[in-house]
Amino acid sequence: MSSLRQVFLIARRDFSQRARSTTFLVTLLFTIGVVVAGGVLLASEVGSPDPYDIGVVGAEPDGLDASLQAAVGAFEREAVVRRYDSRAAGEDALGSGAADVLLVDGQEVVWQEEPSPQLAAVVASAVGESDRRRVMAELGLNEQDVSRLLSPPSLDSTTLAEPDSDAEAKQVGAYVGNLVLFFSIIMFGQFVLMGVMEEKSSRVVEVVLSRAQPRQLLAGKVIGIGALALVQLTVLGTVALVTLNVTDVADVDVAALGLQVVVTVFLWFLLGYAFFSAAFAALGATISRQEDLQGVAMIPAFLLAPGYIISFIALEEPDAVVARIASLIPPTSPLVMPTRSIAGDVPLGEVALSVGLMMLATYGLIWLGGRIYKGSILRIGAKVRLREAWRAARG
Amino acid sequence: MLSLVGLHKRFGDVVALDGAGFEVPPGRIVGFLGPNGAGKTTTMRCVLGLVTPDQGHITWNGAPPTHKDRLRFGYMPEERGLYPKMKIREQLVYFAELSGLGRKASAASADEWLERLNLSDRANSKLEELSHGNQQRVQLAVSLVHGPDLAVLDEPFAGLDPIGVDGMAAVLRQLAASGVGIVFSSHQLDLVEDVCEDVVIIDRGRVVLAGTLDELRVGAGFRYLAVAVDGRRWSPELEGIETTPDVQGRSRYIITDDIPIENVMTLAAADGHLTKFALEPPSLSDLFREAVGQ
Repeated sequence: MSSLRQVFLIARRDFSQRARSTTFLVTLLFTIGVVVAGGVLLASEVGSPDPYDIGVVGAEPDGLDASLQAAVGAFEREAVVRRYDSRAAGEDALGSGAADVLLVDGQEVVWQEEPSPQLAAVVASAVGESDRRRVMAELGLNEQDVSRLLSPPSLDSTTLAEPDSDAEAKQVGAYVGNLVLFFSIIMFGQFVLMGVMEEKSSRVVEVVLSRAQPRQLLAGKVIGIGALALVQLTVLGTVALVTLNVTDVADVDVAALGLQVVVTVFLWFLLGYAFFSAAFAALGATISRQEDLQGVAMIPAFLLAPGYIISFIALEEPDAVVARIASLIPPTSPLVMPTRSIAGDVPLGEVALSVGLMMLATYGLIWLGGRIYKGSILRIGAKVRLREAWRAARG
Repeated sequence: MLSLVGLHKRFGDVVALDGAGFEVPPGRIVGFLGPNGAGKTTTMRCVLGLVTPDQGHITWNGAPPTHKDRLRFGYMPEERGLYPKMKIREQLVYFAELSGLGRKASAASADEWLERLNLSDRANSKLEELSHGNQQRVQLAVSLVHGPDLAVLDEPFAGLDPIGVDGMAAVLRQLAASGVGIVFSSHQLDLVEDVCEDVVIIDRGRVVLAGTLDELRVGAGFRYLAVAVDGRRWSPELEGIETTPDVQGRSRYIITDDIPIENVMTLAAADGHLTKFALEPPSLSDLFREAVGQ
């Protein structure tokens, strides 16, 4: 019987039992809901605004529709013109929100509450243009002259600094990615901690350890729960990408950015989870009672918190010194580096160094955590002190 | 055959094992007895490789047991425990697979054990939904589901009602008949007397008595004597015969092996018509108390 088979069997049990648990399913459905709602909200924020609804009543200048569309086009908006039979009907429409503004007899503009300067300018410009066309027709100017008078020469425009049209979207992406990473590592790390503790408190661990080595049990548990985490991240990532594509946000290539966020989160989750789950597992092995859980569950959260906080600096200023240092060294790097690399451009060398250091630290922590796990897993009852666990695991 | 030779184990200042050793031949049921804290659980954990002895060694069929060998052992720890929220059939299949059986063989064996323990209709119940007695049966099934060559059972009878005890004893006898070596610990000495052929008594980390029950009884050097003359209790007044209260608090007589029984009989017959003359071997409780000095 190969040792890998034991690890696989243990991982499969942890994966399938937890995947079927109500807690996991409810959390997954809830987060899917949040992602979909968030995507739709983002799309409505960033995407094209609703067209202006312009109500018209009574006499109106000739060619008003065309003038309105031309005027509104200058603001990269659209207009829908709605006609009403009476002023009262128009005012009702204002009241119900069916119209944003009411033009009465081509002479008066009525608002429900606050006038919108942009919309006021649009209506004024459209009425003015219709008026000018009428006057010019009276003066006997032909169509060509009218066009010359009404279309001023266009101005060349130059910008001195190249704007990053994606900057804001990148920040949002980095923020979301950071949040997902933080909560995924905490959530699945807690699963490992609870799983280890439950095996101790239900005493099943002695039965398992009569059939598998402590390291196999530890590895199986971390891999099984990690695989579940990857399933959750894949589902959420797919849902996020589909939502962004379906809602079709204008301007920004959100789908491409979304893919970058999903891939970055995925890779850094692997590194961050491997590192922190070793700590969670070792701590879980030292306790067997629910009342001891609070005390140890906080420790990994304390380790993660600095990275989470520094990520906000990285969000604003990806190349700030603090952010650069924190993105290179564990335990802050799994949160800060992905934030930096989504929000800005990080040299490949720095990413490689960060990944390398993280892998080294993870290897060390798995070794250390494995030893503490081995030294404390069979000691049921009071919390095992780390030093005792270390000594008990000799050999 | 499992052999334990001179096991020593210390936890800090506490000496758990101090040279313990005994054997479990195939097809035999060995009762492993001792007061609380004598080292029974530590010994069993050593057999399973959960505890590494400081000194001494364990052999399985003549060689130190490998991890693979140990997968052919069945273990029921004193601290009972399985996954509370896992369905019982799934647990059986899982532990059978973890012990090296293939998926199909594991499923077949799980079903067989569920059938055998009358739990087939509860196959898809979560463990926590079962009664205490049924949980205990599942625990036994988990330790035997992979068809082990050796069964190490720590207090398998603890907490069972008389019917549960009978069921458990029947399973152990069947296993032994099929060639499995069994060692189990218990505080219920009458039960051990019923189920076992071999007994090992451990005290303060050392084996103080070991052998077949018959050998041990013979080797105890005394028997109980009950005599009635003319239907009345008769008290022998002979040197070497001690009075001791029996379970009901009545006095009974201990007769050491060096006293010729014929002499006692002659004396009694001289007092009248001999209506009862019974010799009883010492019980396991007597042997136990004597061995652990209590």
